[in-house]
Amino acid sequence: MTDLAIDVRGVSKSYDQHVAVRELSLQVPRGMVYGLLGPNGAGKTTTIRMLLDIIAPDTGTISLLGRPHGDRTVLDKVGYLPEERGLYKKMKVREVLRFLGALKGLSQGDADRRIDAWLERLQLKSEAKDWSTAKVDELSRGMQQKVQFTATLLHDPELVILDEPFSGLDPINAQAMKDTVVALREAGRTVIFSTHIMDNAERLCDAVCIVSRGEKVLDGRVADVKAAAGTRAVTVTFDTTPEGAVLAVLRDPALVAQLDVQGRKVELETAPGADASRLLAALVGAGAHLESFSRVQPSLHRIFLERVGATGVEAGMTGHG
Amino acid sequence: MGKLLAVIRREYLERVRTKWFLIATLFGPLFFLAISLLPIWLASRDEGTREAGNVVVIDATGNGLAARLVEALGDSAGGRPEIVTVAADRIAAAESSATAAVRAKRRVGYLVLDSATLAGERARYAGRNAQTLTDMQRLGRAIDRAVLAARLEGTGIAPARLDSLTSIDVRLQRDELTETGRTKGGGSRNLAGFFVAFLLYMILAIFGQNILRSVIEEKSTRVAEVVVASVKPDTLLLGKVLGVGAVALTQVLVWGVSALVIGSRVVPLLAPQGRGGAAAARGGAPGAGDVLAGVSFEPGVLVALLLFFVLGFVFFAACYAAVGAMVNSEQEAQQASLPVTMMLVASAVFMQPILLSPNGGMARTLSFVPFTAPVVMPLRLAATSVPAWEIAVSLACVAAGCVAALWFAARIYRVGLLMYGKRPTVAELARWIRHA
Repeated sequence: MTDLAIDVRGVSKSYDQHVAVRELSLQVPRGMVYGLLGPNGAGKTTTIRMLLDIIAPDTGTISLLGRPHGDRTVLDKVGYLPEERGLYKKMKVREVLRFLGALKGLSQGDADRRIDAWLERLQLKSEAKDWSTAKVDELSRGMQQKVQFTATLLHDPELVILDEPFSGLDPINAQAMKDTVVALREAGRTVIFSTHIMDNAERLCDAVCIVSRGEKVLDGRVADVKAAAGTRAVTVTFDTTPEGAVLAVLRDPALVAQLDVQGRKVELETAPGADASRLLAALVGAGAHLESFSRVQPSLHRIFLERVGATGVEAGMTGHG
Repeated sequence: MGKLLAVIRREYLERVRTKWFLIATLFGPLFFLAISLLPIWLASRDEGTREAGNVVVIDATGNGLAARLVEALGDSAGGRPEIVTVAADRIAAAESSATAAVRAKRRVGYLVLDSATLAGERARYAGRNAQTLTDMQRLGRAIDRAVLAARLEGTGIAPARLDSLTSIDVRLQRDELTETGRTKGGGSRNLAGFFVAFLLYMILAIFGQNILRSVIEEKSTRVAEVVVASVKPDTLLLGKVLGVGAVALTQVLVWGVSALVIGSRVVPLLAPQGRGGAAAARGGAPGAGDVLAGVSFEPGVLVALLLFFVLGFVFFAACYAAVGAMVNSEQEAQQASLPVTMMLVASAVFMQPILLSPNGGMARTLSFVPFTAPVVMPLRLAATSVPAWEIAVSLACVAAGCVAALWFAARIYRVGLLMYGKRPTVAELARWIRHA
């Protein structure tokens, strides 16, 4: 048994003239939470659909849980939450879950027991109200998402693939989703999810892969990625939002290569050749009142912006979440 | 295999559990009987309301042909004609006043009898009901009888005997002779053929649309992606076709069994005079009893009917499913499904001409076309006797069509199910089929 949950080697996929994924390779060890990061249109969903054998790659090989593609029985051990959620609207909740469970090889008895447990846990079934007998379109959007989530995990999959799991979730459900990802890792499951929300990725992931325009930009353990991104990152907190002479120092290309002013807090990267102490001296010389000045490891957000660059990011996509 | 069964099970149960299924199963036969027999029944009732008699007869023959005509027409022709006897050179004036009477709606038309009529050549009619087939046939027959009576009288036959000599109404009783034997009542068998073919056509159309909608639903609710992450799109397609097919089959079997029960228990009570030929001989409209009497098939024919039904269903279901995968909404589907609907409608369009000659060249040709055979062949099987080899070849053609339809549909389905946005052009479809 291999220790890789996902092994993708040299995979490419084109549609007509457009290359969706180019020569992508990534390895996800078992028991890991893995983030697939990239702006919209980077090829994340195409990659995930290829993982699930929904679409076939033009070139390259993919194996899941040590089994090469073509062996569809392995999909019984995979749970999938697509970005666009949807269920049969006219079916009763229990019927939908039984059906999706049966497609993963669950017997009806097993399915029913697990459905009850999940619905109780997600507060969809109680003494007062049992939603399992309601039709899907009688449920609120949030409840439908819970049902969909149940369908993803009902058969206790070894590998869980989530496409943009946080999109469209309210803060409470988003937190529940994060808790679930953590719980899955504790239970020894492998989780891979795509997102463009770097905060979530940074908090949850053991390793990440950043893709842009269908190509891998970088991948590795989060700690390694951050260390490799260098030590030129500096975070400065002023007592007021910097302006005038202070701002001029921050914008001096001889001192600062990259600048991200977030109000009083500023994340920056020193220019090659300049070091942090020179910058500190210049700031103080310009009359800045500092609350803190520290050399830091860059956030995934910074690394993402730096490596993917403005060109790879579509308008309105800042990566904040 | 278990997963295919799960898909079939869902498709089947989700449909059978609806109120609509119950209503359609209970009242479907009544509905089909009504829409297939109502026109015939109405047409037969129409005889009593026609207006053949409500005319002006302009008689320029000089020997009272009009009076014989009125007699031949009888009382049931919707009023007694008004006779205007004129000299041959006054016809034009009489026509003018008759035209005025028609315009004033006192009469529906006028008939001109002259020496050419007596010679057995022609008569002229003008009126608002000139297009009403039954009226014109009735007038025509009455004129023939009147002329015949006039000629007979000319040969010296006593006027008192004329009526019995000229009132001829022979009904032709048709028995069909085949290799295997003789069947009575060809007319009601025609009706049975029409009934079976029409039923098949309706089922294919209704359930085809049903499959189309269900694919669009899976696509638009995006549930398709969850499903194809567990089973192959081909499995989903096959399960859908088989599941919905099982629903249609259930319905047909319920109808078939109830028709048999009604046929054997209820019809004899309703029609104690006998079946088929008896009703036809009475000259009345064929009733439900006649139709059911016609629908008494040999087991071999029943099996063939069932096969045509199943194969035809698979063919059209696959086509409609492929259309569903191509489009994003039901509005788009209306346009995109046109080619498939045309294939289906083609068989309905030819029903009438095929019934006129169920073993003719057109009927036989269409029995070998995969998309018309599923309706045309059952029509012929019910209406007449078809050689076994033709049935076999026809089945083979439909089966080959089925395989091709499934193959194309599976490829379109595989790609289309996850494609959103613009509808594919024909060139793009061809690419889907090549690359899927």
